[in-house]
Amino acid sequence: MDFGFTEEQELLAHSLEELLQREAPESLLAELDARHEFPYKPWKALAEQGILGLGIPEKYGGTPADIQTMTLVCETLGKHAFPLGIIYSLGMITILDILQFGSEEMKMEVLTGLAQGDPPVALGITEPQAGSDAAALKATADFDGDEVVFNGQKMFCTLAGISKHILLMTRDARIENPYEGISMWLVPTDAPGLRFSQVSKVGWWTVPTYEVFIQNVRVPRKNLVGELNRGWPQLMANFEIERLALSAASVGAAEGAYEEAAAYANQRVQFGQPIGAFQAVQHKIVDMAVKIENMRNYIYKIAWMMDHHMPVRHEHAMCKLYVAQAAFEVTDDAMQLLGGLGYTTENRVQRHWRDVRLMRIGGGTDEIMYNIAGPQLLKRARK
Amino acid sequence: MDVIVCAKLAPDPEDIQVKSDGSISLENAEWVIGSFDLQAIEAAVRLAEATAGKVTVLTAGPHQVNNSKLKKDLLSRGPHALVMVVDEALASADTALTAAVLAGAIRKMGGADVALFGEGSADLYFQQTGLQVGERLGWPTLNAVSRIEPQENSLLIERNLEEEIEVLQVPLPAAISVTVDITTPRLPTMMEILKAGQKPVTVWTLADLGLEGQAAAKIATLSVRAPQQVARKRILIEDAPEEAAQTLAAYLSKEGLV
Repeated sequence: MDFGFTEEQELLAHSLEELLQREAPESLLAELDARHEFPYKPWKALAEQGILGLGIPEKYGGTPADIQTMTLVCETLGKHAFPLGIIYSLGMITILDILQFGSEEMKMEVLTGLAQGDPPVALGITEPQAGSDAAALKATADFDGDEVVFNGQKMFCTLAGISKHILLMTRDARIENPYEGISMWLVPTDAPGLRFSQVSKVGWWTVPTYEVFIQNVRVPRKNLVGELNRGWPQLMANFEIERLALSAASVGAAEGAYEEAAAYANQRVQFGQPIGAFQAVQHKIVDMAVKIENMRNYIYKIAWMMDHHMPVRHEHAMCKLYVAQAAFEVTDDAMQLLGGLGYTTENRVQRHWRDVRLMRIGGGTDEIMYNIAGPQLLKRARK
Repeated sequence: MDVIVCAKLAPDPEDIQVKSDGSISLENAEWVIGSFDLQAIEAAVRLAEATAGKVTVLTAGPHQVNNSKLKKDLLSRGPHALVMVVDEALASADTALTAAVLAGAIRKMGGADVALFGEGSADLYFQQTGLQVGERLGWPTLNAVSRIEPQENSLLIERNLEEEIEVLQVPLPAAISVTVDITTPRLPTMMEILKAGQKPVTVWTLADLGLEGQAAAKIATLSVRAPQQVARKRILIEDAPEEAAQTLAAYLSKEGLV
């Protein structure tokens, strides 16, 4: 059993850390957060450094990378610049969907742009009546000659208003089984008939989320991604890696919060000694460190399994469930250790605390992760 | 231009451990590229890129430098090849010994148009090695260089002095030590890191250079001790603002700080 990274992975992580120190210092991240502004400049810097091309084939301007390496990138981004980790993680699913199911023309246009720094392609699944029950979506696609016409409404469509494309999920209501009537389309965000309304959120202020109104939006038929009515299995194919990526970024955020708290425990003097000298504080520090260790082990085990083409159907859900909860607990404990300072906007811990909380909801709620893992575990127990 | 850039590999200063008796332990320190040499490597790569030339990075040290990750780190930053002189006799090398080895290696490599050096080593920072290598090779030798512009068979260089910027034309070959502000080192991409493992690496010993038993350090290091740490006094002044300010001023005055 090898718990180490390769030399190449260590060098990449070191290079990325230096890049983030130069291009995404804490002062800039705090400023962008306060202004609710997408981190365009750091995102472009990641592209120039080849980070955004990882996992994209060389012919589209990328660099082949395994899932463990991309998990390491997510963790590193999450630790030093959490919003970049979120954005990078969100982009992974749409990159893989286009790579696996898209036409050559789509790959050349979209993947090349993404490797060069375009914001990730947004994923249009959720609708006002279709959240965790994603297959209940109602957006329609009707053929009209060589074109297809979309109508409907999408909810919580992160990045849609700033992306160049949405990967839009529609459903043919004539097909009784919803899982057999869903299709995936690549829709340019400047198509007439699309309207975006930004959603106000508790966190993720630099990662905008939109409600998308779709009224008679036309694109050529060739914008179908994969096969007609095969959108559901196509969509499911890459959810596992998105959840792993979001988990890895969350572990990074927890590590960042832990470092702030541990440094403060050594430095802050109360009652004549550093607060770290008190057992109550030491116990909290240890509990946080144990959770971080467990989370890291979990994400890299899932990455290793995926790199070895092993099924992770319930494992990935359990990992995401554990990490989403434990990462929030660590950031919450970090805030507690920092006391009043932790609740001010002067310290990044409050940002991590607000941002990490969404991980128990986004990318599949805790409850859906239980629903995925539970039946699988019981099925295995019946054998 | 054919450029050789000399880089010193040394224990990471962040990993240095101070023992209770004040002595320093480097046992658990990871070896890294000297921070001042990163700028020299970048300047060398830019010079080669501007002249369609080639860069070889040259280093010398004990067995710790012959490390696969360090080699990839060096080569991922742009150089085309790496030459290492690895010998335990270099574990406590002074600048004279290091310069003799580097000059010997440069001769064995067939020379170059330019040899570049950082402004000093990350561990000892004597700022002498580049000058001594140039002297041994009999090349025009300059330090404190903050800008290099390639010209036909020469370099136009700038030296940033305290109150003036000196501009000089230097014939080739030349040995030049650059300052940290000459450029910002590039950060290796994954592709460059992956390619680094395939670049040529040559490892020599002192015997390969004909220097075994010939070159020796001229300076003996008697001891290395960390400065004694003084515990913080943690004086808390609790008083009305004016009185507290006076008390603070009195403390600072007593310590000779104001």
